Amino acid sequence: MSGIGAVAVVVAVVMTALVAWWLRSRDGAVRVPQGEEVPVDPVFERLGVEPARAELTVVQFSTAFCGPCRATKARLQQLQTTRPGLAVVQVDAESHLDEVRALDVRRTPTLFYLDPEGRLVGRSSGAPRAEELTALVDAHVGVRP
Amino acid sequence: MPQVDVRAPRFAAGVTAVVLTLALLLGSGVLVAAQAAVFAVAAGAGLRRAPYGVLFRVLVAPRLGPAREREPEGPPRFAQVVGLVFTVVGAAGYLLGAPAIGAVATGLALVAALLNAATGFCLGCELYLIARRALPARA
Repeated sequence: MSGIGAVAVVVAVVMTALVAWWLRSRDGAVRVPQGEEVPVDPVFERLGVEPARAELTVVQFSTAFCGPCRATKARLQQLQTTRPGLAVVQVDAESHLDEVRALDVRRTPTLFYLDPEGRLVGRSSGAPRAEELTALVDAHVGVRP
Repeated sequence: MPQVDVRAPRFAAGVTAVVLTLALLLGSGVLVAAQAAVFAVAAGAGLRRAPYGVLFRVLVAPRLGPAREREPEGPPRFAQVVGLVFTVVGAAGYLLGAPAIGAVATGLALVAALLNAATGFCLGCELYLIARRALPARA
């Protein structure tokens, strides 16, 4: 039995719990960009995003290995069925590395929320919780019953 | 790119966490080196030929039913390289008479394995996008 090893195991378990807790609290939290950020319109334009055509456009960056990305994508598709004003653009991060760098995407899924004027009204990293995503979408988009 | 059952890397992370915990408790550099060898095979030969991947396919998958989701093996395979680096440092630390270095490096590998097994969060996979971002585009 190794004393230092036992300590390392305990530290590792505590660290794992802390990281898991941190990820959980941070995943999907929407940040509203502050004024000084680089203009993002040309980047979204290159991705074929046309925010003027919807009340809210959600741009989702995903990677193929990312399970939470699939869940988020499904959730957005589901929201779209009753919210015609919601547009969703799916972007594969690996094949759009220039845009990934320009927008400083570090994790997937990363979501960008754009209003009809093309302004960035928020961004989030990690899978958003279903009810939070719905609330955010509903703050911008009318629901058709 | 070959596809793998998403449950396989997670199972492998669980086995890895058990092996690394044992290695730390026993202070066994040999066991850390064995785990490093497993990572090396997975990184070099692919996840389907990796020891824990075979174990999953032969023993576990038949009991769980068919795969519901598959993923490309690139990122989890890259994660094996990340694991390999940590366990090589860990094994070297133990075997070359620096058990503190061995324990710290092995402990960090254990954090990544536990996190993946418990929450599905794959640290090495996250680093994959960051590495792809940092490197110039491949032709």
